Amino acid sequence: MSAVAVFAALSLAACSSGDGGSDGAATGTPDGDSGDDVQLVLAIRSLSNPYHANWVEGAEIFAESVDKDLTVLSDDGDSQKQLSQIRSLIASGQTIALNVDPNTSSDTQAIVRAVTDAGGYVVTQWNKPDDLLPPDVGDNWVSHISFDGDESGYQIATALFEEMGGEGGIIALQGILDNVPAQQRFAGLQRALEEYPDIELLDDQTAQWDRNTGYSVTQTLLTKHGEDVQGIWAANDNMALGALEALKAAGRGGGEVPIVGVDAVPEALDEISSGENGYLATVTTDAWWQGGAPLALAYQAAIGEYDVADASDEQRAFYGTQFLVTQDNVDEHMSAPTAEELQPDLDDPFLRSVGPIE
Amino acid sequence: MLFTLLSDRFFTAANLGGIADQTSILLVMAVGMTFVILLGGIDLSTEGVMATSSMVVVLLAANDRNDNDFGLLAVLAGVGVGAIFGLVNGVLHTRLKIPSFMVTLGVGAIGMGIATVLFAGRAPRLLDEGVRSWGLGQWFGLSKLVFIALFIVLIGYGIQRFTRAGRYAYVIGGDEAIARLSGISIPKYKTLAFVISGSAAGLGGAMASMRLGVGDVQIGAGQMFATITAVVIGGTLLAGGRGGVLHTVVGALIIATLANGLILVGVQPYIQVSLQGAIIVVAVAATGWHLRNRTRVIK
Repeated sequence: MSAVAVFAALSLAACSSGDGGSDGAATGTPDGDSGDDVQLVLAIRSLSNPYHANWVEGAEIFAESVDKDLTVLSDDGDSQKQLSQIRSLIASGQTIALNVDPNTSSDTQAIVRAVTDAGGYVVTQWNKPDDLLPPDVGDNWVSHISFDGDESGYQIATALFEEMGGEGGIIALQGILDNVPAQQRFAGLQRALEEYPDIELLDDQTAQWDRNTGYSVTQTLLTKHGEDVQGIWAANDNMALGALEALKAAGRGGGEVPIVGVDAVPEALDEISSGENGYLATVTTDAWWQGGAPLALAYQAAIGEYDVADASDEQRAFYGTQFLVTQDNVDEHMSAPTAEELQPDLDDPFLRSVGPIE
Repeated sequence: MLFTLLSDRFFTAANLGGIADQTSILLVMAVGMTFVILLGGIDLSTEGVMATSSMVVVLLAANDRNDNDFGLLAVLAGVGVGAIFGLVNGVLHTRLKIPSFMVTLGVGAIGMGIATVLFAGRAPRLLDEGVRSWGLGQWFGLSKLVFIALFIVLIGYGIQRFTRAGRYAYVIGGDEAIARLSGISIPKYKTLAFVISGSAAGLGGAMASMRLGVGDVQIGAGQMFATITAVVIGGTLLAGGRGGVLHTVVGALIIATLANGLILVGVQPYIQVSLQGAIIVVAVAATGWHLRNRTRVIK
């Protein structure tokens, strides 16, 4: 039985009741170890993108494994709405176990403090201020998980360069320039370029993570550099898919120019699987795992099964495993894992840690 | 012109064709928006309309989600969806007397919501080769989308020049009180303008789907701002009453040329956005220069 209550909270920013503070509510200790009064909550940006839809599927697998309901908060990229939704839930008085993808780094602190003040448990992903670590706030901020963009940018770059035989010109489509993942992925590309001296970066432009922009920027770059463009590196799949259509429109589709991206969106996986249009590789963080395992971690902390006070630095903030997806292994990443496949990661959410975030 | 001097790649047939292609969707949307702005209104629903239209078109044409196969009729349906959104905008604006920016913002959000429901977590792909060829195919070395855009410009110019709706738009936008005293049915023509704008946004969404081959909620991201900018840079006053479709053509070309030219010249991506903004401010100031002495209220 799918037990997802989509909490369509109206944005009640205006009536959010001051800034938490330590008002009367239980601080720190959950009422019991049974887990009966622990509410599982997933807070994501939107239900309209496949990536977060997979988060929900992963979280549902976990919720079913412990036989509890799952509340999904979707904020449509609005930080105020995200915070007020979480506050309204906390106000209901239950202990929450929250798995959240904060919209921006600056939202993270407000969210973890609100949850901490109410005695809930939270695991954050992707965004947090560089100088703030979970131990700075307390045991209720169970852990922070991110993925090393440098590594993903590097992995797709080397896959691309190998396909090109180690020589030729490429163009790069960057994400929004002040985004941390955009900067990290581009740094990864540059690291790979140093190892392949015969690959020339002809041009790098931002395409704002956006498919339409990816199309028009690629179209312009193809005019500028013509036949010199032998490969396209994009910081995400959306831009890569736009670039792929621009190649088709320029009469250079059909696999002549290999393309790589990051994020493993379903269409990119389809392209990699078919292999017709030169879409070579992408990187996945495994959105199902991201929805399920961190929620399991927050829940284990909430019911006292996992003692945050004894945790190591790595357990409090770590990089998760990423997988390079190519035609060889694309099938494994195209559909949701079964409950049995995900279970070991739900039992031990740290299985995929590749190192601490410092 | 400046770009021609700075890059030998700029003034080539291939690049001019590229600019025309990059202008096409923006132009269609901006032509529709022109009528609303001429009347002194604004239409902020375009991104939501594009999202719904793009989903409707792809889900009605051959796709990888269901068994529909209505071919080009699906595109008409997309335009029709846009027209309905426009009608809702117009009726709410004129009957309930809600400011247009508020109504259209709300209706746009409804559009995003409907598109999200249709999206259901995964972008459906457009498999209809006939529809797809309009986005990828060429005539005389120019993308077919360019010809759609030119056709819409002709229709837009025709409406503006030769119909009562077009002529009254200037009267109403110039001074609504006088227009009302002259017995013009203002609600009727305002609603019509929103229907035109909505249909254009619907077609824009369909065109984006033809080009990219998917239905996507985010397909119109950033388009609303670009559309309004194109109309205003062209010289149509945000307060209404002045400007027109041909102005908008110039405005849309300026925006596409800027984005294209800055890349060709090799301007660092880190400063491109600021440079684009600066050039837009200068262009708007320059087009309005001859009007600045009159006692004019800037809203």
